[in-house]
Amino acid sequence: MIPDATNSASASAAPAQPLWQERDAAPGFAEAAANEFPEGATEFAGDETSRRTFLQLAAASAALASAGCYIRPAAQRKIHPYATQPDELTPGLPNYYATATVHAGYGEPALVRQNEGRPTKIEGNPDHPSSLGGSSIHAQASVLDVYDPDRSRTATRRGNPVGYETAIAALRGKLYRGNESDKNLSVRVLTETVTSPTLAAHIKALLAAFPKAKWVQYNAAGNENARKGLATAYGKPVSAVYDFVKADVVLALDADFTGTGPGAVRYSRDFADRRKIRHTGKTLAECAAGREPGKPFKEGVQADALNRLYAVECMPTNTGAVADHRLALKSAQIAALARTVAAKLGIAGVTAAGDWTPAQAAWVDELVKDLQSKAGKGIVVAGDHLPDWVHALVAAINEKLTNVGANKPVKLIEPVEARADKPEQNDTLAGLVKDAAAKQVDVLLILGGANPAYTAPADVDFVGALKNVPFAVHVGSHQDETAVLCEWHINEAHPLETWGDVRGHDGTAIVQQPLIAPLFAGHSALEVLAALVPGTNGVPGTPMSPEALVAATWAKWHADAKLTGPFKTFWDTAVRAGAVPGTASATAAAALTPLATAGLPASTGVALAAGELELNFRPCPALFDGRHANNGWLQELPKPLTKICWDNAAFVSPKTAEEMKSKVNFRWTAGEHGRAEVHVAEIEVNGKKLKLPIWGLPGHADGAITVHLGHGRLRAGAHVGNNDGALNAAGEKAHGTNVYPARTSATLWAAAAKATRTAQKYFLANNQGNWSMVERDPISGKPLDRKPVRFGTLADYDKNPKFGKITPAASGETDAIDANVPYPKVVKKGDHKDDHKHDDKKHDKRLHPLNMYNPAEGLSPDLNPAQRRRWGMAIDLAACNGCSACVVACQSENNIPVVGKEQVTKGREMYWINVDRYYSGDEKGDQGAIRAYFQPRACVQCENAPCEIVCPVGATVHGTDGLNDMAYNRCVGTRYCSNNCPYKVRRFNFLTFQDWDTDTIKLGRNPDVSVRSRGVMEKCSFCVQRIRAAEIVAERELAKGLRKLPDPDKGEVLIRDGEIVTACQAACPSAAIAFGDINDPEAVVSQWKNEPTNYGLLAELNTRPRLTYLSVVRNPNPAIAK
Amino acid sequence: MAQIFPKALNPIAKMLVLGLPLLAGGAGVTGAAFYRSGYATGIYEVPPQPVAFSHAHHVGQLGIHCAYCHTSVEKSGFANVPPTKTCMNCHQQVWRGADMLGEVRESYKTDKPIVWNRVNNLPHYAYFNHSIHLAKGVGCVSCHGQVNEQNLTMQSSTLLMEWCIACHRAPEKHLRPQAEVFNMKWEASQYGTNPDTGKPYTQRELGLKLKKDYHVRDDVTLTNCSICHR
Repeated sequence: MIPDATNSASASAAPAQPLWQERDAAPGFAEAAANEFPEGATEFAGDETSRRTFLQLAAASAALASAGCYIRPAAQRKIHPYATQPDELTPGLPNYYATATVHAGYGEPALVRQNEGRPTKIEGNPDHPSSLGGSSIHAQASVLDVYDPDRSRTATRRGNPVGYETAIAALRGKLYRGNESDKNLSVRVLTETVTSPTLAAHIKALLAAFPKAKWVQYNAAGNENARKGLATAYGKPVSAVYDFVKADVVLALDADFTGTGPGAVRYSRDFADRRKIRHTGKTLAECAAGREPGKPFKEGVQADALNRLYAVECMPTNTGAVADHRLALKSAQIAALARTVAAKLGIAGVTAAGDWTPAQAAWVDELVKDLQSKAGKGIVVAGDHLPDWVHALVAAINEKLTNVGANKPVKLIEPVEARADKPEQNDTLAGLVKDAAAKQVDVLLILGGANPAYTAPADVDFVGALKNVPFAVHVGSHQDETAVLCEWHINEAHPLETWGDVRGHDGTAIVQQPLIAPLFAGHSALEVLAALVPGTNGVPGTPMSPEALVAATWAKWHADAKLTGPFKTFWDTAVRAGAVPGTASATAAAALTPLATAGLPASTGVALAAGELELNFRPCPALFDGRHANNGWLQELPKPLTKICWDNAAFVSPKTAEEMKSKVNFRWTAGEHGRAEVHVAEIEVNGKKLKLPIWGLPGHADGAITVHLGHGRLRAGAHVGNNDGALNAAGEKAHGTNVYPARTSATLWAAAAKATRTAQKYFLANNQGNWSMVERDPISGKPLDRKPVRFGTLADYDKNPKFGKITPAASGETDAIDANVPYPKVVKKGDHKDDHKHDDKKHDKRLHPLNMYNPAEGLSPDLNPAQRRRWGMAIDLAACNGCSACVVACQSENNIPVVGKEQVTKGREMYWINVDRYYSGDEKGDQGAIRAYFQPRACVQCENAPCEIVCPVGATVHGTDGLNDMAYNRCVGTRYCSNNCPYKVRRFNFLTFQDWDTDTIKLGRNPDVSVRSRGVMEKCSFCVQRIRAAEIVAERELAKGLRKLPDPDKGEVLIRDGEIVTACQAACPSAAIAFGDINDPEAVVSQWKNEPTNYGLLAELNTRPRLTYLSVVRNPNPAIAK
Repeated sequence: MAQIFPKALNPIAKMLVLGLPLLAGGAGVTGAAFYRSGYATGIYEVPPQPVAFSHAHHVGQLGIHCAYCHTSVEKSGFANVPPTKTCMNCHQQVWRGADMLGEVRESYKTDKPIVWNRVNNLPHYAYFNHSIHLAKGVGCVSCHGQVNEQNLTMQSSTLLMEWCIACHRAPEKHLRPQAEVFNMKWEASQYGTNPDTGKPYTQRELGLKLKKDYHVRDDVTLTNCSICHR
């Protein structure tokens, strides 16, 4: 129904806190933001080319072009049909296969779209508990890795190509004497975390065949501390998994549980579910039941069932950004806070630590009270990089609060990760290096792309030790830093190219099936191992297909589990579903031991001398430990919160930046746009010096620096990862600065550092100022407060649920404006006529004359109503945590090019959806009080689209279903539309950004979306290709009588809700996006739009946006002063 | 002030007043005519093919159904050119050793495709979908012409956007019963007598009736840009 907004104007407005974006006050920023196409933005190319040279070039190329012109419009093309067509394939229709991508050893469940045998798009798998349909940026971007032209294409020996067979024969010759394994060989297998049952079984078989062998598991950014802490606390290895649906209160101690880690996608979904207020949502009692298999799960919660998140963190994360209460503390203080909380909860043997200001002490008191009042319904979670004793302590806290157990939010399970059966056969990287240095390692097998030559801590001299290993084999996808040091290298197949298996965060296994034959004839680590372990008859490397290898593991599991039914049926079902039922890790029977709270160290973190800052190492949100450095989508992705791409930086609080006398200057006059000139810091840590640009990040803890791992690689790949252009801050040809050399085993996550600002300047690509919606008062020049994100607290919501509808720019007309936001169809019994009356007193005539739409009817009321559709979208900002999965998903689905750092600085990045982030709070004040708000901004598909009326060639016009269509081939590139778009969501191809030359890249494109070239405007289409595909199926069935003609009077629609899922909607881990036909009152999107928090962005401009937002409602503890 | 132009130029100036617009108009007309010409559009062109496949023989004489080879035409946007295997279904039995089929046997043996020259070239930004046209009652012959009479396949339409739009604006000119879409020789009069007029159906009468029966969408919707361009 159309909400009655009559009282909204008189009711209290949303809190009057101003929203700002970082660096609003920086010199030049305002100018940069205000000018969409600043002077010079349209310059032809690099600095050396002026407009004059452009004209000369243009004249010359026109002459050449006309000389070789082929005037016929359609060039002759070829058709290559199959010689024998696969049964499952219909040319022109995609197939979907369930499989998994692998990140840091854990599986990310995936449904992969395959067009004529080429994987082109990855979605999450709704049937797997680690995904429930959502996916991470890494899973989304994984499809680009398949087509990475820099992938290693052959096995090599000392860099010279040899065949795979040669490499395997050499390995086998080294390991075996005839058919007997050489028992004296000291073999080392180096992997990262392994969860694959089949791979683990093969490694174990190798360990059994070579008694002196050891398995080295090494992660540059892993969860070893958490595992060790839990093992200490419970006396045996266990993992903790969380059910955030059941959690009324959450304390995150520097834990980015919605952003990083194997369970992040699932945790995002569950956590966000309790932040969405819905009239039909769950009650508190229903939340306590969680997701029950086989039972329908109501989306969202009643207002009184909102959860509450307390976050304590140093570097702002996606999780902390959406917290209800936040403290910005140094890592050492976070550990101290864990002790204080434990002490206040009365856990025996724990004393409080840390110096707290009165406000902080009160904060902790209220936090403890809150945790206690919701005992059994809360979660305390610690970040992977906190010391192991903090994890043990957190286990004790959760136990004390009775949060652990069956039907409780925290569950202990048997570890998902595989380890060697004999403890002495487990080793660490440091152990390996020690043995190698002592020349006690004969054969080193590096599997799965582990890259310790780049990532190893500085005191672990892996590179030096490798020289003492007589036989080293690297199995990986690239000729990376480690590969070039090994004598042998075997090119590894991508996870989408091979059979395999892997486990999700809760242990539920996924059988991976190949989507494409290995493009470069690669082999998986599993195949390599299978060729080296004794086969059933004792002979090494009995040839077996990779599929059979995996099937054998599961045949054994099937037999052991004594499942009824034939194995074949089980296997086919498991492969098809992408999740093997019944494989979730068993609940661990473990009781807390006194060791959990014993032996707490005197110091809670790095001790800082005067003038020193705490330096924190964190994995990059996009590049992780550096493995994704050659993925253009992830390099260019504006990193959540920081909005910086192609670089890392030394993140400090704005206050600390000021103390370091660091300045940011946005240059905007010479065509640069997102070009932020910053000072470079020299950071002295562990005797090494790092040079990184300084970036003051609101919300960062004072007195600390955070740097991201994974940047500054020199051998990532020629096309993306290596930098052949400008130098980084340290003067190397690389994207960002490599900080690994300053990291030691003792200071893996935090170190004491001295930082000084140098006179050197460096420019960062920061797209915060690009495509700004800022509008200035023409007289005063002050930015208008348009409240792009409407936010309030639960108290505000209770007072007036419609607080988000109040339009700041035209508050007197709020009701009229709200009536002008397209609302779902109202179905009335007996009378289906629209009740919209033009003589109605409420109706503000000023807002209507230009409107060709009748709000409830759409364009041209004489069209057949049964087949008229009104596409609409709603985004729940309360659920969005800014993870940016939608951005990468959109890039993958819509063939959006990567433009490079230089072009980003000119405001030319091509994202159709961009995640804006806004702050509230005092930038220079208490960093903990700063709140972040995220707003994914795409084309809102205005019903009164300002872009359409200014297009001189009719390249962008309206469709009857409300889509603002873009006909690329009509566009002549005037860019009038973009200038007239108040939302600034149109993107122009200034140059030929698409890669038309690299063959492999062409394979990965979506064939259902035009590949745009230079001179063409583009923008979000609501994934029109998906809409049309579903429409064609529905209309076909309608014509053949397989579907009933809907009765619009009853609110029936032809295309059922959920038949069309846009790429961003499918990817969103938090399920914050709804899309559908707003003629269907039952559609999810209609229900969302009918929530009182729904508002239209810039709706006061009478654009009638079809994409609307749901206001942010947070649930702060009333007892804590803001 | 002296006159710049001598009086003798007056007739020329008068002629130019008439002539210049004519010249410009003529250039426009020429351009438009060229754009629509067979040379530019490729209509009635018969591209050479690696195998001299004759629709006239296979369809016209033998009566093989369109969808026997073009299997995906009712399911997918793309009406597939058949895999070599489809050819070999019959040609393992008939014309086994014919020289003409050497290329086909070679393809089957080596599992390499026969590379055909595309007859109907649509630009990459136009997304035509075969399946929906068949379901809504547009026959093959409406676009592809009398394929049953073509030896080598010919481009039977201009494939210009105006040609597409003409039908999207008035689909009734081409609609036929779903059962007859593959029929190369069907005419509206075969449908029977129109009860309203008492005479055999004309194409227009039947088209309007079928447009309703098959729920063909209205002309405004069918000419939305994103119906074809994505």
